[in-house]
Amino acid sequence: MPPGDGQPDSVQWEPVPGAPGAAFYPLIRKIDAVSSNSYLITTPDVIILIDPGGLPEQAAHLFRVIGMCQARDARPLFIFLTHAHTDHFVGIQADPACAHPDTLVFAVEQSGAYAIESGDTTVTQSDLMQAPFFPMKVQLHLFSQARVYPSEDMSFPNGARITITRDQTGAAGLPRERIVFGLGQDLTVYHTPGHSPDSICLQMGELLFTGDLLFAASPGIAGVTGWSQETLIHSLGAIEMLIANGGIRLVCPGHGRAIPAADALRMLPAVRADARNLDNIAEMEPDRAARTAAFAGDCMEQVNELFTIMSGRLQYVSFILDELGESGIADQSSTLIRGDMIDELLEAFHNFAEEQRKGLDVPIHRVLKAGQVIAKLERTFNRDELSAIIDPSLVRRAGRLLSDYTTMLRGFTPPSECSDCDLNTLTESVVSGLSVPPFTDDEVLSSADDDAAFSRILLARIGTPPLLADVEVTVLSEADPVQVCIDREHFTDLLTYLLEDLVGTGADRIEIGARRTGRNAIVRVAGNGPSPGALRERRTWRFLEGLAERTGGSLTFHELEGKHQFEFTAPAV
Amino acid sequence: MDIKAANRDGNTILSVNGRIDTLTAPELEQAINTEIVRGNKKILLVFSGVTYISSGGLRVLLATAKKLKNPGDKFGISSLQPEVLKVFRLAGFTSIFSIYPSEGEALATW
Repeated sequence: MPPGDGQPDSVQWEPVPGAPGAAFYPLIRKIDAVSSNSYLITTPDVIILIDPGGLPEQAAHLFRVIGMCQARDARPLFIFLTHAHTDHFVGIQADPACAHPDTLVFAVEQSGAYAIESGDTTVTQSDLMQAPFFPMKVQLHLFSQARVYPSEDMSFPNGARITITRDQTGAAGLPRERIVFGLGQDLTVYHTPGHSPDSICLQMGELLFTGDLLFAASPGIAGVTGWSQETLIHSLGAIEMLIANGGIRLVCPGHGRAIPAADALRMLPAVRADARNLDNIAEMEPDRAARTAAFAGDCMEQVNELFTIMSGRLQYVSFILDELGESGIADQSSTLIRGDMIDELLEAFHNFAEEQRKGLDVPIHRVLKAGQVIAKLERTFNRDELSAIIDPSLVRRAGRLLSDYTTMLRGFTPPSECSDCDLNTLTESVVSGLSVPPFTDDEVLSSADDDAAFSRILLARIGTPPLLADVEVTVLSEADPVQVCIDREHFTDLLTYLLEDLVGTGADRIEIGARRTGRNAIVRVAGNGPSPGALRERRTWRFLEGLAERTGGSLTFHELEGKHQFEFTAPAV
Repeated sequence: MDIKAANRDGNTILSVNGRIDTLTAPELEQAINTEIVRGNKKILLVFSGVTYISSGGLRVLLATAKKLKNPGDKFGISSLQPEVLKVFRLAGFTSIFSIYPSEGEALATW
């Protein structure tokens, strides 16, 4: 999700399909959490602005365009919000038009209208987005309980006169209001709660404006205040049915580019399936956003290092194979990671985080940015193929970091599966795995007659040099088992991170061992050389402490007789 | 990123400061290539001021190693920060380049 630059990606008038005499002007922004897309529609009777967005410059641009339309043919202006989140409307508050509320009609679903009128900072996400706003009068409450049915004529200080009729869509059962502005095209509004209680979709001709409905099950967006799994699933199903029934050509979302109806029909079942998997997610409120943002920073630091190492390792493999005259195999390995794309993604996050640190730090923006980068990273690397060449531990840990962050972003706790095990055995197994190459010399020799097998083994031998191969490792095991109840996979990761840190920064002698001390079991990892990176980089240390917690224990560091010593402590069983 | 070039006893010393990332890696590549084109084929990169290197930066170093492998050529890197040394070691680069603790120790062996 690159930061929005406030500049519209696309600004041109187009006829509204299926609505003769109506034109629309889509202002599609690069996706971010600061501001939504905006859509202007004109008919001979009215000018409609859907979602003015979250940026003053965007609103100012829209009002300039509206001014040109009014100069040609003065008509009443209506501003509809697909929902009352600040990124969809707060930009307008800096515009002089807002100082004269009688010149326009704000139209918001009733509960959203109350939130804007009362200055509710939670429902509007003003707190979460750190986007303050002042209460505004909403002249037209959509789906108002107080309205006289089946239809009502209404007039407004700006001269607008409308007839509003309420009913329900057929089998889908969506509450619907049809707004007639005059003799020209009318507008249909559907109540589609789920992303928020006040979410609506709007239809003019064959265009359907869906606000944030299509991303309502996405990580970091699902679980916002007011989010409802049950109503979201219903709304998604009803909108799918509406589109499937025909009469919709293009779906215009609140963020991102317009989607042809056929593509939306393919997306909607997937979004609904995602929504069904979101039982009991935590609410994304400011405290959770701050915690997730801290994890995002720590996680991205490690992701950055692991991906740089993996990419470097592939380059190394390619270099060596070239030297050996095996450039065919070299080409095969070098395409497994898109180093340039990964660099760009990681740098985009780094630059974004730096900008945030310098200016107004909005945790939810960092949370969503990290989510976007991580989702793209997930799509760029092929774990199975990479694991066949470079150290599978690197690939596994990178994969786990990405999935742990996505899990947290979705509002769940990253899984931790504790079971009884002997720390001596587990520690020895990790050390052994990091000390021997993936294939023995005999296996290399026996593959000589099989080109494919030889290539595979050669790649793995070059790409997976054992971390501890050139290190003097002393394993100090106790005679008796040291039983603990921990998450084995997390422990393996933790120990690997610690050993990599020591070896990577220059240790060539390492002592490692598990022992029982009173009620606790302790694994000590000590190395010579300069001080490890975990101590210099606060985020790395915080990440390792968190990993030790998820393992089922805690991590400390001591400096003793010139040795750097990590201790993992867990309750003995 | 900032690169300062110096010549000591026929050896080219490029002292690099800052992050070597997608934006700055081409600058480093250009600085190295300029020296090679001038016929300076004993190049030491002093990385005491380098706090971060991306895979794009690693690629530049490998490309340089390929260019400077003829008899009489020298290519080495000195004074690595622990974070960068760690990436070098774990990516396997320490077996390709000559890595030196300091500029002085590098030049003493050249």
